[in-house]
Amino acid sequence: MDGWIQILVSGLTVGAMYAVSSVSLSLVWGALNVLNMGQGAMLAAGGYIAYTAVMSFNLPIPLAIVVAVIVGALIGGLMYFLIIRFMVGKEGFETNVIVATFGFALVLENLVLRLYGAYPLRQPIGLEGGWYIGATHVPYQNLLLVVVSGALMIVVAYLLKTTRMGRSIRATAQNRQATELMGIRISWVFLQVLLIGGGLAAISGIMLSTLTTLSPTMGYDPMLKAFIICVIAGLGNIYGALIAAFVLGLFEVSIQFIFGVRFGFPALLVLVILALVWRPYGVFGKRKTERL
Amino acid sequence: MKESSKNIYRRDAVTGVILILIAAILPFVFPTRYVVGQMTVFFIWATVVSQWNLVFGVAGIFSLAQMAIFAMGGYVTGMLGLYLDWSLWVSMFFGGFAAVIFSAVIGIACLRLRGAYAALLTLAISQTMYLLIITDTACFFRQGVTCRNFTGGTRGLARFGDFGFREILPYKYMAFGDYFLALVVLIFAVAFSVFVIRSPIGLAFQALRDNSNCAVARGISRFKYQLLVFSASAFFTGVAGAVYAGHFRVMGANILYLNLLLFLLSMLIIGGVGRIWGPLLGAAALMLVDEVLKEFVEWRLAGLGAILVLFVVLWPKGLAGIVDVLATKFRRNRNQTVDIKSG
Repeated sequence: MDGWIQILVSGLTVGAMYAVSSVSLSLVWGALNVLNMGQGAMLAAGGYIAYTAVMSFNLPIPLAIVVAVIVGALIGGLMYFLIIRFMVGKEGFETNVIVATFGFALVLENLVLRLYGAYPLRQPIGLEGGWYIGATHVPYQNLLLVVVSGALMIVVAYLLKTTRMGRSIRATAQNRQATELMGIRISWVFLQVLLIGGGLAAISGIMLSTLTTLSPTMGYDPMLKAFIICVIAGLGNIYGALIAAFVLGLFEVSIQFIFGVRFGFPALLVLVILALVWRPYGVFGKRKTERL
Repeated sequence: MKESSKNIYRRDAVTGVILILIAAILPFVFPTRYVVGQMTVFFIWATVVSQWNLVFGVAGIFSLAQMAIFAMGGYVTGMLGLYLDWSLWVSMFFGGFAAVIFSAVIGIACLRLRGAYAALLTLAISQTMYLLIITDTACFFRQGVTCRNFTGGTRGLARFGDFGFREILPYKYMAFGDYFLALVVLIFAVAFSVFVIRSPIGLAFQALRDNSNCAVARGISRFKYQLLVFSASAFFTGVAGAVYAGHFRVMGANILYLNLLLFLLSMLIIGGVGRIWGPLLGAAALMLVDEVLKEFVEWRLAGLGAILVLFVVLWPKGLAGIVDVLATKFRRNRNQTVDIKSG
């Protein structure tokens, strides 16, 4: 019984972290067809900026988070102005942009490495203490992560569903040409998506760093997992990614708890292969009809 | 106006012979160990990239499993040497075959998927392999009092010997053995890729790319040809892994780092995807850039990143594309245009 509560708590926490990151990736893929290899470095950058804001500028924690989100968004915007703006619509975009965002990630990672060094740092943001359900210790920190992630998802859903910006983002994801013909400035939509994606990546990075430590390469592993989640959900499917993040978080933690930590990732892989054999375009994905 | 096919073959052959001659003379001109060693590594990466080019540029499978296949070749070779005491010269081929089988299995799982899906799944396979190796702590055999695990774990697989050039060659030319072995593997790999690109298989892919519905209606099976290329190219990738293992006399999980994978992918993209000489150009260019950046250790990553971005943004067709443009200008007075697929 205690074991199951433990699994549930860790699984939900992990799922909450994956969710923010996956939604960010999914949003960017859906609207731009960009597989953002810079996500990992952006996660790390977000965590470090929050660290600096607290430790060097003595900002209160909520303000530090806001600063990190803003800077994270600006990094996303930078990616648009320096790279993606020049590449959209060119031949081989989908593959070339992977290399370009990887290049961006290298620069960012190097910058973090020079500024903070390679040694892991402790993230000062976080809640102490917790309470007990039966014999299981439930840290407040984990609860906070789940709540924050849930709230963020509601905000993103609200933005996408009801606002004019959200409608144009969804329209762009469905049919770029038609959206342009409806008089929506597509470059503006791209920029908005990358700003939101960058902000979400920063939050995800902060969440991640509160559970582990800050290091320049801390984002790679979560990025890969977020990719897997997006693939299972169907690339670009945001609500699918949200559900898949929590399901896979629980799944991974259960496997780790039952069979040992080293089998967590391999089990995810088996799951994703099975899911894709069953539905090649993701569990929630729809096959796009190809035009002749 | 297209060049006649005879012309194209002649140009491939001439380019190939010139490059081989240069490569054969080079170690005698610069016989330092460092240059020869770096060139050996260059040949190994160029082999991998040339086969990756077949998979990605020709067959259109966005695979990121190339380094996993490479590692499979290297590890199987090393294990046969370590556990069965086989000579690397024999186990090298078994490493290649193991890579083919591994690749065929990956292919069956992934080839139904398109574009980014295939990329992410193959990336996940590579990462899984990495994690399984570095978390491998179970005791496989005992060596005195120490316990060694099956894959070598984080320490890497070692003590499986090498290609034995040290015993045969005089001290001054010791490094030349691996150099020429890697060069021969590269020559075979490039010859194979020329063969595939110019053969009916290459034409089948061109047809599938240009008008896939029409090609499928004419009875060309995408899955069959993709699986064929995916598996066959794995042989040379695997053998390259074996040469790597023999050259460094150790095989570690660091070969599966995402950074290395993307570094090699960058060679392919910067060289020119789908072209015959593009991968070689790209590999040479990035090895050179990396060499220059070694002077600026602290900003090496950033420098590499910036160059990648610049290239992809400014010259998305890669170095081979630039060569084409120059060649077209050069030949304009002869009123001849260059066939897109001929470089």
